[in-house]
Amino acid sequence: MTSLWFLTAFILMLWIFLSILRLILGPTAPDRVVALDTVNTLVVALMIILAVAYNQIIYVDIAIVYALLSFVTTLYIAKYLEGGI
Amino acid sequence: MIFETLLHVLLLVGIIVSAYLAIRYRDLLACAVALGVFSFLLSLEFYILQAPDVAIAEAGIGAGLTTAIFVLAIKGTSRWEVEE
Repeated sequence: MTSLWFLTAFILMLWIFLSILRLILGPTAPDRVVALDTVNTLVVALMIILAVAYNQIIYVDIAIVYALLSFVTTLYIAKYLEGGI
Repeated sequence: MIFETLLHVLLLVGIIVSAYLAIRYRDLLACAVALGVFSFLLSLEFYILQAPDVAIAEAGIGAGLTTAIFVLAIKGTSRWEVEE
């Protein structure tokens, strides 16, 4: 049963790799920012799945903090590209 | 437990790839983005090594603060690395 959760986490990690591929290939900066945002969301999902796999309820809190903070980075870069700040 | 090992290997490869990208790009904004990905993956690595407090600190500092401050610095100076 635990192996099933780790299998799911492994598949999500493969998707993170596809996002990193977009980070490598992406011709413009917005492509890379979208890749960063996709990595953020996938990492949050991965953390919650790993919390189930490790059977630790406290690990969900990290995913919450993480989801909150990853938003700030994307917001800053988006404001820079827009010409704000 | 084979998938746990595979997950670990893939994560470490991702850390190395994003760290290489962060020093390779000429576009400094792309470097900051690659550094953000590096920081996120490092936080996930701390999480998998079962150090949740370090993972929280890394997520807060690396993900939240560092990239934002780098973007502010790029805004203040120049975005493209100049070739001598």
